[in-house]
Amino acid sequence: MTCRTDSFPTATSKEQARVEEILLQHRPPNDQPKPHLQRPEHLNYLLRNLRQGFPERFISQDCSQTWLVYWTLHSFSLLGVALDPETKQRAIDTIMACQHPDGGFGGGPGQAPHVLPTYAAISALASVGRAGPGGGWDQIDRLKLYKFFLSLKQRDGSFLVAHHSEVDVRGTYCLLCVAALLNLITPELIKGTAEFIASLQTYEGGFASASQPYFSPDGSGEEEEEVLLKEPRPALGEAHGGYTFCALASWVMLHPLLPLLSSSGTSSEQQPTINTRNLVRWLVQMQGSEAELGGFRGRTNKLVDACYSWWVGGAFNLLRPLGVGTRSATSVPTTSPPTTTPPKGEGKEEEDAWTDDDESLFNRAGLQEYILYAAQHKAGGLRDKPPKIADSYHTLYSLAGLASAQHNVFQVDETKEKLRAAWKPKEGDDPALDEFHKTVFAEARAWTEEVGGSNYVNGKVDRVNATHPIFNLTITHVRLIMNHFYAQE
Amino acid sequence: MSSRTSSPDFPPLYAERPEWSDVVPIPQNDEDANPIAPIFYTPEYKDATDYFRGIVKTGEKSKRVLELTESIIRLNPAHYSAWQYRYQTLLSTSSSLSDELTLMDTYATEFLKTYQVWHHRRLLLTLLHQPPSSPSPSSPTPTTTTSPTHTPTTTPPLPLQAELTFITSALRTDAKNYHTWAYRQWVLSHFSRPELWSGEISFVESMLDEDVRNNSAWHHRFFVVFASGVREGDEDREEVRRRELAYTKEKIALAPNNGSAWNYLRGILTHTHTPFATQADFVLPYTLPYPSPSQTEPLDKDVDVKMTDEDKDTDKDEKNSSPENTVVDLENPRPEAGADLPSPLAIEFMADIYEERGGKEDVLSAVELWKSLRDEHDTIRKNYWEFRINDALHPSR
Ligand SMILES: [Zn+2]
Repeated sequence: MTCRTDSFPTATSKEQARVEEILLQHRPPNDQPKPHLQRPEHLNYLLRNLRQGFPERFISQDCSQTWLVYWTLHSFSLLGVALDPETKQRAIDTIMACQHPDGGFGGGPGQAPHVLPTYAAISALASVGRAGPGGGWDQIDRLKLYKFFLSLKQRDGSFLVAHHSEVDVRGTYCLLCVAALLNLITPELIKGTAEFIASLQTYEGGFASASQPYFSPDGSGEEEEEVLLKEPRPALGEAHGGYTFCALASWVMLHPLLPLLSSSGTSSEQQPTINTRNLVRWLVQMQGSEAELGGFRGRTNKLVDACYSWWVGGAFNLLRPLGVGTRSATSVPTTSPPTTTPPKGEGKEEEDAWTDDDESLFNRAGLQEYILYAAQHKAGGLRDKPPKIADSYHTLYSLAGLASAQHNVFQVDETKEKLRAAWKPKEGDDPALDEFHKTVFAEARAWTEEVGGSNYVNGKVDRVNATHPIFNLTITHVRLIMNHFYAQE
Repeated sequence: MSSRTSSPDFPPLYAERPEWSDVVPIPQNDEDANPIAPIFYTPEYKDATDYFRGIVKTGEKSKRVLELTESIIRLNPAHYSAWQYRYQTLLSTSSSLSDELTLMDTYATEFLKTYQVWHHRRLLLTLLHQPPSSPSPSSPTPTTTTSPTHTPTTTPPLPLQAELTFITSALRTDAKNYHTWAYRQWVLSHFSRPELWSGEISFVESMLDEDVRNNSAWHHRFFVVFASGVREGDEDREEVRRRELAYTKEKIALAPNNGSAWNYLRGILTHTHTPFATQADFVLPYTLPYPSPSQTEPLDKDVDVKMTDEDKDTDKDEKNSSPENTVVDLENPRPEAGADLPSPLAIEFMADIYEERGGKEDVLSAVELWKSLRDEHDTIRKNYWEFRINDALHPSR
């Protein structure tokens, strides 16, 4: 099936046809061997970036230095490569130089604190940092970071990404990830945020970057106390893959906390809801046809692009907590407990052949094909689409998308219960707050890779490590850093 | 690395300017630092950012800081710290915000894809038009999310209409730019003035005439018509619904595989609590292999196909002059000749209609349609269609 132009060509359909023509040239003929993951080339590409750095034209990325480090480090992790202690230390020092004296991290040394590079910095530290002097973890100024986060909070529950900057759900996601990893989530911080997330869902089913709040005076007192209206609260911008991932991951983090918020009296309103049915429909509609090799696009009628392998492909793992998906977590007995999930070696438990009991909602084989056939650059690294060049961003999000197309990762109820049972409360913590922290911890740590649930379109030789569906870190890295900051185990 | 001395056009480095000699530049990294994944900077960029770090350290906010931040932004428009500091400096020095907005006109065209450009405009506009004029009684009260204390004193604000015109011209260059659309929606909803809203429908239609597959324009239409409250002139919601359905179906007829239009159709129906089944007559012809014959179309399919190319334009002209001659059923326009049918989106819609009706027979009809999508018309989504089949047959999940 090729582009359906309906004999009514427009700019969109012409672009689409042009790209389909290029992509079809990348589909390997049936009688020829299928391209595999070019591990050595990708590792070389990543190493070159780490050691030699980036040429002048990357000045445009000067405010994304912590991102460049995170993208590169987590790519190594997904490819199953551990770095030597010296390189790790250099990475830690590079990140820590970006911490701002007032709290939070900037995109580079001396830059203003900003939520997005803060997420990248903390994620990079989760990958290579450690406890103790010089390890990064204990040099994070958590108190100032928390105050920085609070200073960005808006009265509609959203957050600015930095002072005098925009509201954007990427910021909400990044902030919640950091706060969850570092044990900074409080009722005060997240009050109204789930309502903000819900307001981003558009009629298409996906989520937008922001919404417009309206307030009305409640008329009860002399003070100009204004009340946030439930309606209208229009989404600004259309449904988009990147924002949808951020909104959905935020929602999955916030949802289990909502009952705790209302019982502690911080939220009297009825709980916000999202339309799961429309969301699922929108997500599956983002997958391109066979003519697009099964890659994902980020918006209706836009072109496929490898980074949406993660932003949209990776979102499917987040649907189970919303009750979508036929496989129930409790009914899968072959799951290993999280504390005994080492980075997987050459285990024999998975077969090379594609298993037919694939119950995921999207076409996992198709997505793997797009990444393997079209997104890999011959010289190493991965890219949006041919004939573009590779970059760090697309390298990570292609590999992460490949991971989510290969592995099932989901929250195991049993694990959640075990973590809760083994929970050691912090001395002097208020019981309600303790319950709150325990829930954040158990929810985040219960994500487990399903043993035997992996599928490889061209054999296990292309295997990459599983990634945490919320944080996009390895499950081991999430375990280590959270255990540290929650003082567990 | 470029040798800057070879180009006479470059202004001198800040390090070479006597009027900056009182500032102590601060290099990005300590001397003994050995950062990983470093970026190799041009001398201009290194110079400007070294001086910027020096300025930030002392907290100076003066006119020359505006020059410095502009230098950095021109070299790297994503430098959010420079934007942030520039904004604070504009306020501290009581600079003309209108002049700044004019400067931004060129920036926006040059750096269309950066968040900061659009957000800076938003900050400026917020201040230039503070407090917002009182909205019409039927519209909600807009409020600002920040409350800066600056009061513009010099120039009167530009009419906001000019802002929409500016955005329109930016969208002519990049018709799907996310930030530009989101910004337009902010201008409309934040100021919420009747005269701003009134031109939006015809604006959207001009964008969709340009490219009926532009999803950003469709979303904008939904934003204007349904998501932003009810405004004067649009109180008759039944009429609005009828108008939107007619418009959308006409666009679906032009290009039946256009997902944007189908999504919009779903959006109207869901928002107005209208059953999908009301559209069954409209959808049916789109689920069939080729356009079903209507009174004005030749019955012979082959002839129809042959005539398509030559007759298409004249056909359209005729339609414009006398619609009643060519369109049989105004409520339910048929697929245009040349459409690629059946449209999987129509089949999906039809299956949703059956599922919504909910009778045993209906569900089985829906299942048949999903099977045809799974096995033939939309195979990439086979797992999803399988999921829909299971969900409908065993709704106890
Ligand atoms: Zn991309």
